[in-house]
Amino acid sequence: MKIVACIKYSLDTSEIKVDPASQQLLLDDVPRHVGNIDKNVLEAAVSLKEKYGGEVHGLTFGPESAKSAFREAMAFGLEDVTLIEDPFAGAGGPAVTAKVLAEAIDKMGDVDLVVCGEVSDDGFTYQVPPRLAELLGRPLLSFVRNISIEDGNIIADRDLGDSSQSVRAPLPAIISVTEETNTPRRPTLMDALKAKKRPVHFWQIDRDLQLSQDELAQRIHLEKVDTKGVVIHRKQELLKGDNPSEVANLLIDRLLAENILIERSI
Amino acid sequence: MSSKGGILVFSENQDLARELLGKARQTADMQGLTVSLVLLGDSFAAGHDGGGGFGNADAIYTIPGESLKDYNPEVYASALTDIIQTVAPNLVLIGASKFGLEVAGRVAERLNVGCSPWCVDFEIDAENNVVTTQCMVFSGQGVNTYKIHTQPALATVSAGVFKAIDSVGEGKAPTPLDIELAPPVMTVIENKEKMAAGRRLQDAPVIVDVGMGVKERSDLAMMEELADLLQGQVACSRPVSSDRDWFPEWLGLSGAQLSPELCVTVGISGAIQHMIGIRDSKIIVAVNNDENAAILMQSDYGINMDLYEFIPAFIAALKSRSIHLADN
Repeated sequence: MKIVACIKYSLDTSEIKVDPASQQLLLDDVPRHVGNIDKNVLEAAVSLKEKYGGEVHGLTFGPESAKSAFREAMAFGLEDVTLIEDPFAGAGGPAVTAKVLAEAIDKMGDVDLVVCGEVSDDGFTYQVPPRLAELLGRPLLSFVRNISIEDGNIIADRDLGDSSQSVRAPLPAIISVTEETNTPRRPTLMDALKAKKRPVHFWQIDRDLQLSQDELAQRIHLEKVDTKGVVIHRKQELLKGDNPSEVANLLIDRLLAENILIERSI
Repeated sequence: MSSKGGILVFSENQDLARELLGKARQTADMQGLTVSLVLLGDSFAAGHDGGGGFGNADAIYTIPGESLKDYNPEVYASALTDIIQTVAPNLVLIGASKFGLEVAGRVAERLNVGCSPWCVDFEIDAENNVVTTQCMVFSGQGVNTYKIHTQPALATVSAGVFKAIDSVGEGKAPTPLDIELAPPVMTVIENKEKMAAGRRLQDAPVIVDVGMGVKERSDLAMMEELADLLQGQVACSRPVSSDRDWFPEWLGLSGAQLSPELCVTVGISGAIQHMIGIRDSKIIVAVNNDENAAILMQSDYGINMDLYEFIPAFIAALKSRSIHLADN
């Protein structure tokens, strides 16, 4: 079975700060890494390979500078990673990403299963897997748990929040995983050493996928006209006392003063 | 009134559909636009809701038949795409449940149009065919403003962002559309409900927000007692729901977003993905024994104390002083 794991070199969103005075999002010094959700993607892809045989190839659309970040991903047990250089520097949006990934998956040939994260850590649009499914004309099993393959069909439970759904679709197919799908392994030193020899292939949208930047730009449907950081003002008062009861009464006094609570004897 | 243009609302979750209709109605009234609602599958017969909000739609569309009953996103994407092409709205608001998010992405691709994720506000310039949306980015740490020139523009909206408003009348009788839906490639074998779904956290004036710092499931009894004293509900963070399965849903970016009068977080660390679920609370109280927990600096009143000491003392003090929730 040929499996493609779609991963993303994402902003580490836990490092994003907002300047309270200017309300600007401070993004310049935010580090990038292979995203947290992508570890669930890699775990799902590699564990399916281990169970049913085959090979896993990594696929990513991002900056050339991401190359060294894929070492750890490779240590999960990928054959290689194909990095398609992003001419939009991350500003293309999900419709562009899905189109580029779809063309790349077509070119890779005979792909039985594509594994995506339900949502990227930084873009957070949830749109790439469904758009990819539409472009490739393949079934999508989204938000999966308990994945198995029987007689050329993939079977899984979809976690829809307030309900769940058991589904089945013929391969070739696409799945999207959540952070609850599995617990990612920690690659060993040996895994990491073996991974050093595996290649990162660089593809360009025009040379390798016959896509023009102008044509792709038609898929940027959202024109960003403003961006602001969200500043929330809280009182940030630490309540202290000699014992829990004293602090509890102090809290009640504050909430009475806020008119959230009232004292009412019955 | 013409049925062309305006705002089309779809969510398989009827409460969420009512919230989207509330905002759509207010916007439409200011600008003289039409509001349409799509009801599919089990919600087919639900147009009559006794003034509960569906009456805010000028028209309700549905597609009769069995194929929408098992919530297959492929079939819903076909249905919604065809209805959008029939109604030709300026803006389609889609409830951002997991189901809705997949349907939205598929429809956006089929129509080759823009879809604003995490929409919190919008404006429609129907004359120039431009929709402006405001959307949360980076786990709610920022808000982007987008102009969308495609017709329609799509936007996904989470529960709790907009408010439902009562309607004067009941929903109109749904207009059945004669649309043939292609059979899906993916087969739904079974739909399963999770336990205790349907609590209306959105309506609770007080939320006791439980995090991984709460160790045992039996400790929830204490949290329930606190919530009951203040007419509140107990809710939780993502891992408490998804890993421990104590609750069917969680608060946060990928869960519910609430705006209670008071939110008491207990053993919550304060990760941004969670804070988005509670940051619109009027007052946030944080109980956490880790003095470096981010939550203590993101709350109004921080209590750096063992929750197993503080919560019983808080409950005892509320009782002994006859403290109640104020009527606001």
